[in-house]
Amino acid sequence: MNVTNAAQRNRGTIFVEDASVIDVQSFPGKQFVIRLHAAKCAARATAGSFIHIQCDETIPMRRPLSIMRVDVTEGWIEVLFKTVGEGLRALGNKKIGDAVSVIGPIGHGFVPSSERPRTLLIGGGVGIPPMVFLAETLHEDNFDWHPLVIMGSEIPFPFDMTTSAIPTPWLADEISGSMPLLESWGIPSRLASLQGYDGCFRGYVTDLARKWLMSLSKSELAEVELFSCGPTPMLKAVASLAREFDLACQVSLEEFMACAVGGCAGCAVRVTSSDGVAMKRVCVDGPVFDAATVFAE
Amino acid sequence: MRLDSPIVLLSGCVGFGEEYTRIEGFSNRDAGAIVLKGTTLEPRLGNPPHRVYETPMGMLNAIGLQNPGVDKVVDEILPGLDFTETRFMANVCGSTIEDYAAVTRRFDDSPIDAIEINISCPNIKEGGVSFGNYPEMSAKVVAACRAQTSKPIIAKLSPNQTDIRENARLCIEAGADALAVINTVMGMAIDAESRKPIIGNVRGGLSGPAIKPIALLKVHQAYEVAGPNNIPVIGQGGISNAADAIEFIIAGASTVGVGTALFYDPLVCTKINDGIADYLKRHNFASVSDLVGTLQY
Ligand SMILES: Cc1cc2nc3c(=O)[nH]c(=O)nc-3n(C[C@H](O)[C@H](O)[C@H](O)COP(=O)(O)O)c2cc1C
Ligand code: FES
Repeated sequence: MNVTNAAQRNRGTIFVEDASVIDVQSFPGKQFVIRLHAAKCAARATAGSFIHIQCDETIPMRRPLSIMRVDVTEGWIEVLFKTVGEGLRALGNKKIGDAVSVIGPIGHGFVPSSERPRTLLIGGGVGIPPMVFLAETLHEDNFDWHPLVIMGSEIPFPFDMTTSAIPTPWLADEISGSMPLLESWGIPSRLASLQGYDGCFRGYVTDLARKWLMSLSKSELAEVELFSCGPTPMLKAVASLAREFDLACQVSLEEFMACAVGGCAGCAVRVTSSDGVAMKRVCVDGPVFDAATVFAE
Repeated sequence: MRLDSPIVLLSGCVGFGEEYTRIEGFSNRDAGAIVLKGTTLEPRLGNPPHRVYETPMGMLNAIGLQNPGVDKVVDEILPGLDFTETRFMANVCGSTIEDYAAVTRRFDDSPIDAIEINISCPNIKEGGVSFGNYPEMSAKVVAACRAQTSKPIIAKLSPNQTDIRENARLCIEAGADALAVINTVMGMAIDAESRKPIIGNVRGGLSGPAIKPIALLKVHQAYEVAGPNNIPVIGQGGISNAADAIEFIIAGASTVGVGTALFYDPLVCTKINDGIADYLKRHNFASVSDLVGTLQY
């Protein structure tokens, strides 16, 4: 039997690591950013990929969490989460030095195209992490990308908002709240919320995005691609915005998972393409999909 | 049929045999056999989301037998498997007795090592009740498959019935070479806020440590019938470590199935293999077969 056949091309691409907690930051609304030493995972992760984490030894089922940042040299990864259930609550209680088992990196990430350098990244709530990862990837790339990041949240943002020094002529000056990390990379970011937070746009992320898209010329619009992650209603709205402006759009989906390596088909979603209807696994066929194939008109 | 390890990786948890090899350090050689995903005559898309849900010490699943149909499995998937690494078993499913027979016939003419019959599927000619819940209906399915193949046949018994001994007896009479005990226990989960079922299919199969005590008893009862007939039992249901595996062997299992525990720890097989070897040594058993059914009472 040919050992290097096509069916075996993915062998050994995902790692099981006993990661150790090297930093824990907490934010209002029971939000946490945890930095984990997991060198193998860090080395292969791409924006959009995720880890399957065991929150605590007493809770055997793992949870998928998007990777927000990696440092390949120092061998760490960072994840952001909101403590919705018992598992993530246990994870939020971890202290520096604690060990947690991590499987990763998993999944196909975002693939930006140099033909569309005006990348619009839209992240909502716990969908923010892959947008930060993608922004950092674009920032570190040699190519001249022109990213704009829009984030939405109905609870306080999981970072200490700063006033942006990067001008956005298409938007009123007082809407200048931004994410410090993105600001430090020279990437403009703007925030949206229905809560009326100071410095934030009052409305939906898609309303804010539309303002920017309306300010662009036809030739500029042809260079735009949307990337998004967040709650399903938001992704649907982003997909229909993309359709309205005839833009390419990649979305990262979430679904309950069991194995996260393609073994159980527990995470499958309906995907419609020119090949017809198929059920695709979010874990290994995604989590990033072409928005037009997962959200029908 | 001889297996190199007493561990069998269970149907529905390891896709079509290659999925877990994505994990670095996982080898198909660590399992004595791998049972492929349930396969039907025609392709099936499976159920809508959510298909899996975590429950206390276990999980519910309702995948809906998503599979590409037996022709694709035999023609396109089996050629990609390395049969020198382990034994591969099919898991045959159907909506009618004729379906089961046809799928078995197709696998008979393939390199597959053995054929497991998943009699827990709904019988569409009898209002959708599961074949496996009734001993006579179970036996009819087994007999129909027996007539189609000379490969070893394993009848996979359902726990959702009054007396598993009667079912075991009739399946053995119908020509089963081995029994797999147990399949999942039917259950459901409700979201009280929306008053909706969480599983897309409403009902799902419960697996994992939560069902272990049920499985142990059923294995022991099936062994009371199978043992005297020299019919091996593949014990399964919540086995997550070597101690669990040893308990199942003592109850009467010749081999042990591992499914849900792989989701907890993808590298659990080597740990179970080592733990069993250690136990045999400490208790002066020459092999697993000497330990089978040695429950003292
Ligand atoms: C996600 C999932 C899918 C399954 N699919 C099948 C299947 O296609 N055919 C089958 O006979 N059993 C199927 N099962 C049942 C398992 O093979 C096994 O019998 C059961 O889960 C009990 O073992 P465990 O507790 O170790 O998982 C499935 C179980 C799970 C968790
Ligand atoms: S979670 Fe098992 S296939 Fe995706």
